[in-house]
Amino acid sequence: MEEEDGEERALLGGRPEADSALQGAPRALPALCDPSHLAHRLVVLLLMCLLGFGSYFCYDNPGALQTQVKRDMQVNTTKFMLLYAWYSWPNVILCFLGGFLIDRIFGIRWGTVIFSCFVCIGQVIFALGGIFNAFWLMELGRFVFGIGGESLAVAQNTYAVSWFKGKELNLVFGLQLSMARIGSTVNMNLMGWLYGKIEASLGSAGHTTLGVTLMVGGITCILSLICALVLAYLDRRAEKILNKEQGKTGEVIKLTDIKDFSLPLMLVFIICVCYYVAVFPFIGLGKVFFIEKFRFSSQSASAINSIVYIISAPMSPIFGFLVDKTGKNIVWVLCAVATTLVAHMMLAFTFWNPWIAMCLLGFSYSLLACALWPMVAFIVPEHQLGTAYGFMQSIQNLGLAVIAILAGMILDTRGYLLLEVFFIACVSLSLLAVVFLYLVNRARGGNLNYSAKQREQMKPSHSE
Amino acid sequence: MLRCWGPHWGWVPWAPTPWLLLSLLVCTVPFGLLGEETRQVSMEVISGWPNPQNLLHIRAVGSNSTLHYVWSSLGPPAVVLVATNTTQSVLNVNWSLLLSPDPAGALMVLPKNSIQFSSALVFTRLLEFDSTNVSEGTQPPGKPYPPYSLAKFSWNNVTNSLDLATLSAIFRGHPVDDPTGAFANGSLTFKVQAFSRSGRPAQPPRLLHTADVCQVEVALVGASPRGNHSLFGLEVATLGQGPDCPSVNEQDSIDDEYAPAVFQLNRLLWGSSPSGFMQWRPVAFSQEQRARESALACQASALHPTLAYPLPHSPIVQAFFGSQNNFCAFNLTFGAPTGPGYWDQHYLCWSMLLGIGFPPVDSFSPLVLGIMAVALGAPGLMFLGGGLFLLLRHKQYSEYQSIN
Repeated sequence: MEEEDGEERALLGGRPEADSALQGAPRALPALCDPSHLAHRLVVLLLMCLLGFGSYFCYDNPGALQTQVKRDMQVNTTKFMLLYAWYSWPNVILCFLGGFLIDRIFGIRWGTVIFSCFVCIGQVIFALGGIFNAFWLMELGRFVFGIGGESLAVAQNTYAVSWFKGKELNLVFGLQLSMARIGSTVNMNLMGWLYGKIEASLGSAGHTTLGVTLMVGGITCILSLICALVLAYLDRRAEKILNKEQGKTGEVIKLTDIKDFSLPLMLVFIICVCYYVAVFPFIGLGKVFFIEKFRFSSQSASAINSIVYIISAPMSPIFGFLVDKTGKNIVWVLCAVATTLVAHMMLAFTFWNPWIAMCLLGFSYSLLACALWPMVAFIVPEHQLGTAYGFMQSIQNLGLAVIAILAGMILDTRGYLLLEVFFIACVSLSLLAVVFLYLVNRARGGNLNYSAKQREQMKPSHSE
Repeated sequence: MLRCWGPHWGWVPWAPTPWLLLSLLVCTVPFGLLGEETRQVSMEVISGWPNPQNLLHIRAVGSNSTLHYVWSSLGPPAVVLVATNTTQSVLNVNWSLLLSPDPAGALMVLPKNSIQFSSALVFTRLLEFDSTNVSEGTQPPGKPYPPYSLAKFSWNNVTNSLDLATLSAIFRGHPVDDPTGAFANGSLTFKVQAFSRSGRPAQPPRLLHTADVCQVEVALVGASPRGNHSLFGLEVATLGQGPDCPSVNEQDSIDDEYAPAVFQLNRLLWGSSPSGFMQWRPVAFSQEQRARESALACQASALHPTLAYPLPHSPIVQAFFGSQNNFCAFNLTFGAPTGPGYWDQHYLCWSMLLGIGFPPVDSFSPLVLGIMAVALGAPGLMFLGGGLFLLLRHKQYSEYQSIN
């Protein structure tokens, strides 16, 4: 217990060496190599964060290079958005299977390495599609990339639980999420610049330049693969030294549970799908929108398009803390969805500086994530949590795939105004579901909107 | 007179409230100040004597006004537009005078005192630029090649292309003298179309028209460019009002439903409204299928007096306005050094409106208004209804308890 406190302090204070020197003195292994030691865990934490960096960096490659992809591959927006749809399709099913594959078939170490390989190979195929001027190859690349990408996130979380459970787990989750956002942000702001440099050195723009740029971007995936290999080694070593078990997701997916899903849970699903389809496809298409409508330069369009992720990196933990302390999840979700609605309306119907709207979007997106996802845990019993979360991610991916294609089609034929109006309609449907959820919860006397105090009071009565 | 100011909303750069959006639903049809919803439009080719000449007369009669558009390819393609405040005004052509070296007075709209507004537009030259190694956004967009003078084009007989069903006619021309054979398989066309009521064509940029306007679609098809990266442009001249030139202004518009990803609208006004106007979306297309991926940016220069070099004379403009006029000219250029261009398919097409009165103003389509009304109305109503329901239930509960 005391040791744990010490480590916590050290982690927050950022002076791990001082502590480890005090405690690690009698042991044979130096602190950095001792799996039971904080310093070693910090190294593992760094590797875990970098593990996801590649896939998050490359996920939004198309969005960062939208103009270039459309010009060099000569595709319209509808086809362009297929690159996002193809990423989502495999995950409609894999969200259910990811945990199973890790627990029962591959094990966490091999699972992570295999998913990292999928990410790498997918990105390489994607880049080759550019070099050979074959758009179908690019689509295939995104499909393969998608197989690895989302499952890798599951593996990353499993590692986190296995190494940090009962210690700094929430903080680690927060850091991983922040790292993911940083990956997306760096991608948004780096890829256009990289394309320009490669264009200058190759002498001309074109599909080859695009392919080479994507290939260079793929280096991040190789980096992640290396992290996966090192992590696998360290994890095995730790297992031997500490006699600990191999990490498991512990997810039990029973598809028959779906028939037991209650109305509030269904409403949460609707909120989730309708909300996220108005955020991610918008960011995928956002860069050109800011260039065309607000006459931003390519660089500042990239910057503003990544602001949602930038805000989300520090705000997620803060909002998480806030929601934990206050409770009232439905009210927070309502605020987040309503703010998003306002942000989209500003983008659609005004020429106001879009930084205002995008910052609003960034804050509301972070708030929603913190308030919505934990609600599932209040609704379903613990043994069904895995299924519920799997299902939620699965339909989210389904929604993203379908809406990405639809958004591209709307944009090509009816323009950005109608696209924005469409997103507004999606968010408004989400708002409708929130209001309905509030009413249902009120009418049934549900526990979703309890304040933190009420939740505290509920606990003892439950245990009795 | 019924006047609906709703349409001006479309351009106001802030978010209208749902109620205003709803009220917009009721009045979405824009009206020009001349205010005719429908006009009796007639289109005829006035035949010259002894050999046929292209003189196309569009006469649009409303309830208390008549608009005249006279198009001709005598000299460079040109149009004279005249608005009168009577339904009886007529065009009078004196052919022998018109074909003489000094045609002043050969074209008259009678009675003269009914004329409220008149102006003219002349398409003088086709420009070509070499845009290799030119960075984006520079003006002019490259090294200019010698321009084609449209006065030295030969034009088809417009009678053959006259279509009274759609009220359209096509002027198709190629250079008389074409030593390089650039126009061997190519042509420059001006498709002129009039309308008897307001509406919107099916093809992008889908400019909203009223019965008061004429649409011109300029297309360059099949001509061989002189370089691999040729950008084309058009020089347009107009009559100056007094010593100053009218100005082209670019407005921002939040509505790009009819011209996807084009958030601007360019407009040239002759004097203060209501007068004549030219209006277009700054977009041209490089493929016959005018989709977004073939959209080219269209840049308009400022109008400048044309004292520096002599413009080709247009006989019909001289015939109506006399020979003492000061002209102002501006250039339109289509495309950018990168992206799609004329080089893709040897095709270029650009549309504009020419009219008198207040320019048509886009308003949100019923689709947008409908979705917005439902999207904002439904959660609001639900909140209200649900709140009321809960309140009543709560009351019932407490009454029940009190009896108990």
